[in-house]
Amino acid sequence: MTHDNFQEKLSEWLDGELDASMSAAVASHLGACPACRREAELLRRLGPALFRAPAAADPRATEAFIARVMSRVEADAVSLWERLSARVLAPALGLALAALMLSIALPGPDEDAPLGVAAVSIDVETAFEVAP
Amino acid sequence: MDAPGPADAELARRAADGDDAAFAELVRRHAPRVRALCAATLGGPAEAEDAAQETFLKAHRALPRYTGASSFGTWLHRIAVNHCLDLLRAAGRRRSDSLEALLEADSAALGRALSEPSSAQSLEDRDTVARLLARLPPEQRLALTLREADGMSYEEIAAAMSCSLDSVKARIKRSRAYLLKLSRHFPGPDIV
Repeated sequence: MTHDNFQEKLSEWLDGELDASMSAAVASHLGACPACRREAELLRRLGPALFRAPAAADPRATEAFIARVMSRVEADAVSLWERLSARVLAPALGLALAALMLSIALPGPDEDAPLGVAAVSIDVETAFEVAP
Repeated sequence: MDAPGPADAELARRAADGDDAAFAELVRRHAPRVRALCAATLGGPAEAEDAAQETFLKAHRALPRYTGASSFGTWLHRIAVNHCLDLLRAAGRRRSDSLEALLEADSAALGRALSEPSSAQSLEDRDTVARLLARLPPEQRLALTLREADGMSYEEIAAAMSCSLDSVKARIKRSRAYLLKLSRHFPGPDIV
């Protein structure tokens, strides 16, 4: 492997993600290559420079967090019910109301209609104001 | 590993059936890790806090679809990772000019931090850190964060980000190379 190949492997080597033989080869190269040693050291310092170890969880802060989450969960359940109402119940109620209005507006059952035929009759000429 | 008391899977089943106390217990067990992940990934405390809450809210909605194929912690962590990635992508689309204006100062600060012999030298100005990390593509930033802040293996990161192992290797390597390149524009004392 060339110097560049070894340098390409430094990130994985640092994270312990190389297999044993490749890891040993990189370590051996680092022993003989000051430039790669320097690069590896910079890579090693990058993480601690940018990321702090997380602070131990404060129990009071955790309890306050739980309260906020549960409050949002509750609000979400309410809004879910509202969305359900808007999407399903409201149209269903509307439909039921429309059916009720229609049953009031239309004439009663046509007693002369044979069984199995629609039990309402509409005077088409009247309904659509078609001239005779 | 589950905490003492009912197992996470049992709590998740009860929570899915509407038991809010069971869900609150799941929040108690997993809040520290989710909050730490959001804080490390997103930078801004308020944004991180909201993202952590949103993660649990999404998990609550998705509970009926949780099959138990993976541990509850892994499943929840994946929701947090995806949510953070969405936020990073959205932030990337409205990247401000201040990033460019402060590039020189931020890169110099990173160069100084890396030149310190102490391996634990951390950049004190978290705004500088946030701006430096904001310069990375969201996928690179998240992969680097999961590795450096959460200590996850490449395999775990691949599972959390739903990508290949090779993608994880490339993302972490490129993110580090880019940040080192920035720091080299303003080098500190020699390090050997």
